[in-house]
Amino acid sequence: MQTPTIAGSAQPRLARGVRLQTDSKTGNSVLLFPEGVLELNETAQDIVSRCDGQTVGEIIHTLAEEYDIDPEMLGGDVRETLADLQRRKLIELT
Amino acid sequence: MIAPRPYALLAEITYRCPLHCPYCSNPTQTGNDQELTTDEWTRVIREAAALGVLQIGFSGGEPLARRDLPDLVRAAREANLYTNLITSGVGLDDERVRGLRDAGLDSVQLSFQSDKTDLADEIAGARAHQHKLDVAAKVREAGIPLSLNFVIHRRNIDRLPEMIELAESLQAERVELANVQFYGWAFLNRAALLPTRDQVVRAREIATAAKARLAGKMDIFYVLPDYYEARPKPCLNGWGQRYLTVNPIGEVLPCPTASSAIPDLRFENVRTRSLDWIWRESESFNRFRGTEWMPEPCQSCPQREIDFGGCRCQAALLTGNAGNTDPVCELSPNRARVDAVLRDLNSSTPKAFGADWTYRMNPKTVPGLV
Repeated sequence: MQTPTIAGSAQPRLARGVRLQTDSKTGNSVLLFPEGVLELNETAQDIVSRCDGQTVGEIIHTLAEEYDIDPEMLGGDVRETLADLQRRKLIELT
Repeated sequence: MIAPRPYALLAEITYRCPLHCPYCSNPTQTGNDQELTTDEWTRVIREAAALGVLQIGFSGGEPLARRDLPDLVRAAREANLYTNLITSGVGLDDERVRGLRDAGLDSVQLSFQSDKTDLADEIAGARAHQHKLDVAAKVREAGIPLSLNFVIHRRNIDRLPEMIELAESLQAERVELANVQFYGWAFLNRAALLPTRDQVVRAREIATAAKARLAGKMDIFYVLPDYYEARPKPCLNGWGQRYLTVNPIGEVLPCPTASSAIPDLRFENVRTRSLDWIWRESESFNRFRGTEWMPEPCQSCPQREIDFGGCRCQAALLTGNAGNTDPVCELSPNRARVDAVLRDLNSSTPKAFGADWTYRMNPKTVPGLV
């Protein structure tokens, strides 16, 4: 799959009506929205919890430090996750 | 059998409704029982959250007929549930929209009968269309995400382009174009509601084109009338797997139409049992859970964990036995019953398909003490 083109300066935020919450049954994060529930894996959870005004570049930088891996390598994964969430209208990029 | 965890609760808080839509999925007959009180609903909501439920839909009837709706929304938010209001809009003014928003309401699904006032009001059996247009604007102003739900049938399906246009002009985030499914009052009125094959083909083309055109702007969900399908719908994602319904008098149902469609199933009541016990242990939830109950051709079918044998209520209504394969399935020995209905409607001289329908009547249930 081609890496989606999302600018490093873009600011992802949760779309209107979307809530990030901890599922008390599993301890994992879930996104709640009018049509349903999306269970997030650990990486998606780390990304989505930072969709609060930080730029894509900042998110990649922070996570790369946290995971101790090359930001270049992580960038594609982060952008793919964000593009997928944007397609589902769960986040908006400004 | 080990019960999975449920994700969504449909809270039918009242059967009372100011509209009389002839396709209502509510039971055609209701007893004289008292609606659950605010305290009882609050307990049900907490028990549902403890079971794992993450979403609640407040429905009915018209849920706004209950003055305690904001209290119930607040209770649901306190239990960390995502709250949807499924409404005709009748009874929603500025003050109530604000009250619901302040209580934490997450989203509103507003029903429409048509795009045109006279046809919409004729279908609803009440003057409601103009008010609904105002309600849509008020919900938008309050900043609450809005979905529109158009119920489609033979009398309005040819106006699909105009209905989509209306949804666009009301700036809905999402629109459902849902063909009537035949339960409750709709089953009673099937002869007047079922669209013809030509109508269904055209509507599908229009919906597909609109979906592509509006991608990224407004989500369009088109629900087919399943009589025209070759394989059944994966009803409920399986019986007792993800969903539960509590009706106005406290009965807990695996499916909202089960109480009227499957008369031999006994439903437990939250007034006498915990929701947890009912979900895990009750006969009504376990009867069709999993795949063991399935007859042939489902039992050996590779699709059995994809469509779950279709809809138990439809099997009951069309074959008299809820344990049969959904007769919509082309592999069902009872498919001829569905074909006979379609053949009659689509023949050059359809008989028995009048334009008259029976309007939904007001139920006998007694309002709760609210």
